[in-house]
Amino acid sequence: MTTTHTSTSPGPPPATFSFPRDYYFPPFFTRQPQRTTFHAQCQKWSSLIQAYCRAHRIWKLSLVDALDTDLFYNKRLGKRLSMADAREIVEFMRTEGRAEWIGKPGAGEEGGTAWIWWRTPEEWAGAIAEWIDGTAQKNTVLTLYELTESEATASEEFHGMDPELLQKALNVLVKRGKAQVFGQEDQQGVKFF
Amino acid sequence: MSRKGVGLAAFDRSRITSAQYASHGNNLRSTHSTSLATQLSVFRSLLQQFAQTHAKDIRSNPNFRAEFARMCAAIGVDPLASSSGAGGKDGGSFWAQMLGGSVNDFYFELAVRVVEVCGNTREENGGLIGVKEVKDRIMSTRMEGGAEITEDDILRAVGTLKPLGSSYSTLTVGHKIYIRSIPKELNTDQSSVLEAAQLLGYVTLSMLMVNLRWPRARARTAIDDLVGESILWVDKQCEEWEYWNPGFMLEAEENANAG
Repeated sequence: MTTTHTSTSPGPPPATFSFPRDYYFPPFFTRQPQRTTFHAQCQKWSSLIQAYCRAHRIWKLSLVDALDTDLFYNKRLGKRLSMADAREIVEFMRTEGRAEWIGKPGAGEEGGTAWIWWRTPEEWAGAIAEWIDGTAQKNTVLTLYELTESEATASEEFHGMDPELLQKALNVLVKRGKAQVFGQEDQQGVKFF
Repeated sequence: MSRKGVGLAAFDRSRITSAQYASHGNNLRSTHSTSLATQLSVFRSLLQQFAQTHAKDIRSNPNFRAEFARMCAAIGVDPLASSSGAGGKDGGSFWAQMLGGSVNDFYFELAVRVVEVCGNTREENGGLIGVKEVKDRIMSTRMEGGAEITEDDILRAVGTLKPLGSSYSTLTVGHKIYIRSIPKELNTDQSSVLEAAQLLGYVTLSMLMVNLRWPRARARTAIDDLVGESILWVDKQCEEWEYWNPGFMLEAEENANAG
């Protein structure tokens, strides 16, 4: 654990993200044996992961990749979270409604990938509907690409959103009868009511 | 004294003199007491005025508040004892009225925040939290430009919780003061471990065995007990397992910022 190998995907340095103080507490990276302590630990990790993903605009977290990033690996302390513990924490987040495994919860080495709901699809649906409302674009047709990649949404939190997540959010609106999605594949458009 | 007279008339004279002394004494006493009463009422109104005009300072300026508390202590007044004293004697409400409740309110509000912090962190620290940490946590959630508070204020606020039962109390271990929100005693071994953990933020089995000359089993028991109560967290990513006090998170962060 003490060897510092250069990670494969360090990503851009998180200039704006400041880690919470728990991140500098060495035992934070060891699963606590005591039940209530572990519960407190999970809650702290949950809010850290959500804040980190929000700051870095991460929608899906692949555990095997994330283990080498500074989220799970505090290089300054030389402490890191193990795969098993990371999985347990994401599982805790799932019970909280703040994560969802993609595919089958990967076992063993690969660890799996999970949506991190720093906003749930319902909340995203609300944010999109609000933006449509606020910019008076009801009854206009937008392409899905426009919705997340155009300059018009650059200041919105859903800018650059994962297309799959966008589908989920729009599905919520469709179910509520507030939107209609048509077209196919990468030519999809959406109309809001 | 007057010259001693001789003859019967001397008796009369001495009676008259003593009566005069007595009446003069009464006069003096009554003037004294009226002047004392005036002084007291002046003092009372001045203190009231002082507390009212400086209510804002008392709330917002920690130095001023500490000085005010010191002044009250010097003249034998405890602005807090007044309202937290049981029984509701006249003296009780007297000070509360006089200080316009501003001092009391300040500490009661602070006490509510202390209870919040203790409740929120109980899972991670087993209901034992350093006064400094409570202060830092309260300060961090305050608005910009909000009133500053000191550790002294926090201790006073904890004092106001006393009438509510024994669950909140302060505990000194080593040279650090903790607030305990779970009524549980630490035994001497546990206190020793906690004190040892103040030095580096953590302890290990061998540290205890070497420095306190404890046998392994004794060190093991004390550590396991503290871990079992969430007071210590274990870090297994080192040569020998380290047991950390969660209060150390703050200092760790300060080091990180400095480094």
